[in-house]
Amino acid sequence: MQLDPLSVPYRAVEGGLQLVVGIAIFGIAGAGSIGGVEGVAVFGVLVLLGIGLSLGWQLAYYQRFEYRLTPDTFDIDSGVISRRAREIPYGRIQNVDIRQNVIQRALDIAEVRLETAGGGQTEARLRYVGRTDAEHIQEEVSRHKRGESEVPEQDTKDRGETLFELDGRELVVLGIVSMDLRLLSILAVPASIVGPSVFTEFAPATASVAVLVVGLVGLVVASAVVSAAIAMTRYYGFVLTDQGEEYRYERGLLQRFSGSIPKNKVQTITLTENVIARRLGYASLSIETAGYAGGSQGGSGSQSAIPIAQRAHAIELAGRIEDFEGLDFERPPKRARERYAARYGIVLAVLVAAAYAVVQLTSLSAPWYWLLGGVVLIPPAAHLKWRNRGYRLEEDYVITRNGFWSRRITIVPIYRIQTLVTAETVFQRRRDLATLVVDTAGTYSLVGDDAKAVDIDVRAADRLRGALADDLQEAIVEYRHRREHSGPIADGSTDPDEMAGGSSVGPTDG
Amino acid sequence: MDESADTSVGADELTDEESSEGTDPSEEGNGSDPGAYTTDTRTLDPRVRWLWVGRAVIVALVLGGISAAVAGALAPEQPWIGPAVFVVATALGTAHALLLYRSWSYEVREDSLFLDRGVITRVRTVVPYVRVQHIDTSRGPIERAMGLSSLVVYTAGSRGADVTIPGIRPLEADDLQTRLKALAIESEGEDAV
Repeated sequence: MQLDPLSVPYRAVEGGLQLVVGIAIFGIAGAGSIGGVEGVAVFGVLVLLGIGLSLGWQLAYYQRFEYRLTPDTFDIDSGVISRRAREIPYGRIQNVDIRQNVIQRALDIAEVRLETAGGGQTEARLRYVGRTDAEHIQEEVSRHKRGESEVPEQDTKDRGETLFELDGRELVVLGIVSMDLRLLSILAVPASIVGPSVFTEFAPATASVAVLVVGLVGLVVASAVVSAAIAMTRYYGFVLTDQGEEYRYERGLLQRFSGSIPKNKVQTITLTENVIARRLGYASLSIETAGYAGGSQGGSGSQSAIPIAQRAHAIELAGRIEDFEGLDFERPPKRARERYAARYGIVLAVLVAAAYAVVQLTSLSAPWYWLLGGVVLIPPAAHLKWRNRGYRLEEDYVITRNGFWSRRITIVPIYRIQTLVTAETVFQRRRDLATLVVDTAGTYSLVGDDAKAVDIDVRAADRLRGALADDLQEAIVEYRHRREHSGPIADGSTDPDEMAGGSSVGPTDG
Repeated sequence: MDESADTSVGADELTDEESSEGTDPSEEGNGSDPGAYTTDTRTLDPRVRWLWVGRAVIVALVLGGISAAVAGALAPEQPWIGPAVFVVATALGTAHALLLYRSWSYEVREDSLFLDRGVITRVRTVVPYVRVQHIDTSRGPIERAMGLSSLVVYTAGSRGADVTIPGIRPLEADDLQTRLKALAIESEGEDAV
C-alpha cells in the first residue's frame, strides 16, 4: 500500500518551507546585488525552483514508499536514493500512534508511528496516510497481535469499554494543575532583551521597584496561563478505552492524537500528583512501555493514561492495570531528614555568600542578610522532602514514592525489573543510607525518573536488593508456568528461543 | 554475606522448577549446572591502575594548560598557577584511580552478575542473566598496548543498559564472556519488554 497522495503536496510545503527560506536568504542577497526588477525576477525564479525541487523530491518519495501488512510482519520499503526494507514483527510492536494536526485534519491525512523497544528512534513513521487507513493499520496491527495468541476473537469493531473520559470539570482542574513556571525561563528571554530599554525609557527612578515587581508578576501569570492552555488543548476530549488486549486513547483539540498501549507490554505505571493536585485531591496516571525513545517527543505527554482524575478514581484505575495491594509506604529513617537539612543549609549559605559578594563588589545596596531568614524554612522543607519519600515491597510489585513539589508514585511489577543498583554517596555513607534504583525498560527511566527508594537504611537497601533479585527469578518462573499452562498469554513470541535472541529491529544502542 | 546465600536459594528453586517441568534435553547438555560457571569475588588486573593514572595525568595536563593560559592572560605575574593546578589535579586523580582500583570487584553468581565499585559514590549493580541481551568484549588501542580488555554486558534496561567491567586480561574477558553467555542461554532469557 502507498501513502495518501495528499501527502505529496503537504510534505512538499512542509519540507519545502525550510528550503524556500534558505533560498530566500540567498535570493535576497543575490537580488540585492543585482537590484531592480531583474533582482526580483531572479528571486522569484529561485523560490519557484525551490518549490519545484521539493515537489519533485516528495513525489519520488511517495512513489518509492510502500508498506505492507503481511501475516507476521509489518513491512516498509522506502528510500529514493538509498533503499531500505524494514520488517517489524507484530509481536514486537509496542505502540501504534496516530497523530493529526489542524491542517492534516483538514486534508484528512494522519501520521502513523509504530514503536518497538529496540533502536533509538521511532521504528516506522508513515507520513502521511488517510485517516481511515491509519485507523485500519492500528486495528490490523492489534488484530495480528491477538492472532498470535490463537484466540480468533470476533472483534466487531466496537470501541471497547470506556475506562475514563475527561469531563469539563476535570479539564479545568487539569489546567490549574498544569500551571508550570518553567515556561517562565522561555518568556523571560525576550523580556530580558526588551525589558531594560523599556525600563529606562518609561520608568522614573522612584517607581523602578514597582515596575519590576509588576513585570515579574505579569511574567508569572502569563507563564501559568500559557502552560494551562497548552495542557488543556493537549488533553481536550481525552478518552481511554479498554480493547481487550490493549488500551487505546484519544485526545487533543488542535492536534488529534490516538495511541495504543498493549497490556502485556506495560513496564511501570506512575501516579503523579503535584502540590496543587494534592490539595484539590486529584492525581494523574501514566503508563510506560519500552517503545518511546526517551524525551524525543515530550516523553511523558505521549503516554499519559489519565491526564487528571479524582485521586481515588486514579488509584482504582491503576489497580485495574496492575493489581497491587495498597499504597502504605515505609518511610526512610528519620536521619535522612538531617541530610536534607544539611543540603538546604549549604544551598542557603551559598546564596547568602553570593548576595553578600554582590553587595560588596557592586554599587547595589540591598539588605542581603534578609536571606538569612531562609533558615526557618530549612526544617519544614527537609521534613516535607522526607515525608514524601517511601517504598513498599509486595509479592509481585515494588512501589516507590518521591518528591514534594511533584510527588511520583511508581509501581513496578517485579517481573519487569532489568537491573538493580544500590548507590551510596559519601554523604549517604556518613549516615548509613543508600539509594536503591529499580531499573526497567520503561521510558521514564531514560530521563532519570526511575523507580528509586532514596535514602533508605543501607542494610535495608541490601536486603531489598537481594529480595528483589530473588523475587524476579520467581516471577519469571511463574510467568513461564502461566504461559505454559493457560496457553500463550499473547506475548507475541511464544517461543523461548526466539525470546532469547535479541529483540530489536534496529541496533540496540541505548 | 547472607545475601549470597539468599541468591543461591533462589537459583535452586529456579532449577527445581525447570527440572520438574521437564526441560528440553538439548538444553541440559548445554551445561546442566549453573554452579560450574560461577566465580568468587574477583578484582581487576592491577595494571589498570596505570591506565587510570595515565588518564588522570592527561586530564591534569589539560586542566593545567588551561589554567596556565588563563593565568597568563589575567595575572602574568603569577606563573606558578598552571603548574600548581597540574600537580593538585594529578595528585587527586592518582588517588582516585588507586582508590577506584581498590574498590572494584565483581562476581559471577548463580543467577546474576554482581558488580561493586566506586570511590565517591559506591555503586553495587545486580544484572540478572535472564535480562542479558548481548555481551561484548572491547579493547581500545591503549588497552591493547597494555594487554587489557573490557567486558560490556547489555540489558534492555535504560539506566544500567550497559554495564562495563574495565581492566581485565583479554583471556579473562573471553572466559567471562563464555561464562556469561552460557548462563544467559541457560536462564532462557525473557527480556520483558
